[in-house]
Amino acid sequence: MKTARRNQYLWMGALFVFLALVPLFADNNYYITILNQMVINMIVVFGLNFITGLTGQMNLGTAGIYAIGAYTSALLSKNFGLSPWLTMIASVCAGFLLGRGLGYPSLKMKGVYLSLTTLAFSEIVRIFATNLIDITGGTQGLKSIPRFSVGWIALDTNTKYFYFILVVAIAMCLLSIRITDSKWGREFRAVKDNQDAIESLGLDIRRIKIRAFTLAAMYGAFGGALYAHFNGYITSLSFTTDLSINYVIILMVGGIGNILGNMIGSIVVTLLPELLRFLGDYYQITYCILVLASALFLPDGLISLYGKVMGVFNKRSVAEGGE
Amino acid sequence: MSIIMQLIISGIAMGFIYALVGIEYTLIWNASGVLNFSHDKLITLGAYIFGGTYILALKMGFVQGILLSLLTVAIVGVIIARTIFIPLRNLTMIYTIMATVMLGKIIVEGIRLFWGPVPFSVPGFLVGTVKIGKVVISRANIAIIITAFICVCALQLFLYKTKPGKAMRCVAQNRNAAQLMGIDVKTVMVTTVAISMIICCLIGVLVSPLLNISTTMSNMIGLKGFAAGVIGGFGYLPGAIIGGLVIGIVENFASMIFPSVYKDIAAFVLLVAFLLIRPKGITGKTR
Repeated sequence: MKTARRNQYLWMGALFVFLALVPLFADNNYYITILNQMVINMIVVFGLNFITGLTGQMNLGTAGIYAIGAYTSALLSKNFGLSPWLTMIASVCAGFLLGRGLGYPSLKMKGVYLSLTTLAFSEIVRIFATNLIDITGGTQGLKSIPRFSVGWIALDTNTKYFYFILVVAIAMCLLSIRITDSKWGREFRAVKDNQDAIESLGLDIRRIKIRAFTLAAMYGAFGGALYAHFNGYITSLSFTTDLSINYVIILMVGGIGNILGNMIGSIVVTLLPELLRFLGDYYQITYCILVLASALFLPDGLISLYGKVMGVFNKRSVAEGGE
Repeated sequence: MSIIMQLIISGIAMGFIYALVGIEYTLIWNASGVLNFSHDKLITLGAYIFGGTYILALKMGFVQGILLSLLTVAIVGVIIARTIFIPLRNLTMIYTIMATVMLGKIIVEGIRLFWGPVPFSVPGFLVGTVKIGKVVISRANIAIIITAFICVCALQLFLYKTKPGKAMRCVAQNRNAAQLMGIDVKTVMVTTVAISMIICCLIGVLVSPLLNISTTMSNMIGLKGFAAGVIGGFGYLPGAIIGGLVIGIVENFASMIFPSVYKDIAAFVLLVAFLLIRPKGITGKTR
């Protein structure tokens, strides 16, 4: 068990090193943009992992949370000239308030209410973002959101920004690991596995769920802020329900409740549409069928594939050792 | 006064649409424990089969077209039930939600490839208005109210007077007990999905005069149908009807007070308000 966990940490480290090396070989703006998007997705999915992965409550409103984070940071830094560092903290605070405010009514009861309210919430955010043209720019979008600098290094190119968010992602990953292995993480998993047992131990399920959802909202809002400052331009057209679904797809394809799985999922799912481009008109439907098949036949995600393959190897090596 | 009358009537008409949406997914929820997130896409599919294939391509009459498309979607429903809903019924909620969401996306992509991406409308279907006294009502709204009323009554008769209907109610109450009593749960699920698909198609046909037929036509209707279920009492059929009517009327009056672009928000505000104050819904019965 312990070696398995150590293996996972090794793989995570290897993946991060690999990602850090990619820009050295592929110095093409298109690839760097995809890499940036990939790492931002990773951060958002680390958060979604708490509520949907560990606690087992379906959150279909990540797009709304992400949009709130993006708009908070973009509007504050653009209109009031605040440093993006401050505005990013502000959007994390917005995420915290959102998690509490939305989590309280929908997690009070058992059932599917969270999926419905989050879905409705992201639709409300989209309607407001589209129609409050004076503030958000509507579908025309919000232009020239400032980049920022770390100390004396200005993050003016996409490659520099990529290294910055890679460092942020590593920090978020370490934080995720810390939370998952702490008392909080054990409580989250217990909610998914056996609600009755948790209640009989005198723990409040609602508070645990709301805590998980708040963490998810904070990670999501932070990811949105990073996206706004990376892209420099946000429009309400990009925060659709499809975006929320995409994050759940990342979670499922990678492996639910597993941080290494989240990383693999965000790499695979961000790259897959680009790889399937050659199919032309049929690429979307192929993509959907692949995801549906992975939900039905590989419910534990790609990470379980690794376990199965390693299992086969281990058996073989044991058999060879026996001979 | 006549304006208020008009608002109430169009609110009731839209309310009946939401009520039908609520009924359609509640039936599947009760029979299989799967929340069907692809239901709005199934409504779109119904509208496309009716408008795109039977009326515009094959040039049939409206009545023939409706009947044939109802038959077609029932067959599609049986196929979907066998391939998606029956394998899903024992999985965790996350997988069932995700699989139905992906089913919806596949349907949309299929529609786009088969019928093309350009929105269209069915010419001459339920257009025009009727004047009763001072109140002007569009034909489409009258058709919606009458059809939805007949549909609800027929469903009630089916559920309470026929054997398959009784079996459906048994499965809804307790799936394991129903199975022990010798009810074939899989057959009941197939029937349920087929009936739900028929209702979806009816909704699609009924809203096609109000909205253009396009791949995104029913996104809002689908979401508000979910809200209707929660407001009336989740998983309880009469609750879905009451919730739908409430949403329809409230949002029409909201459009009188607020700018009409924010009309769609009314349903979601009601949803969150009900979850905070009365999570069991108006009827107080949930499942």
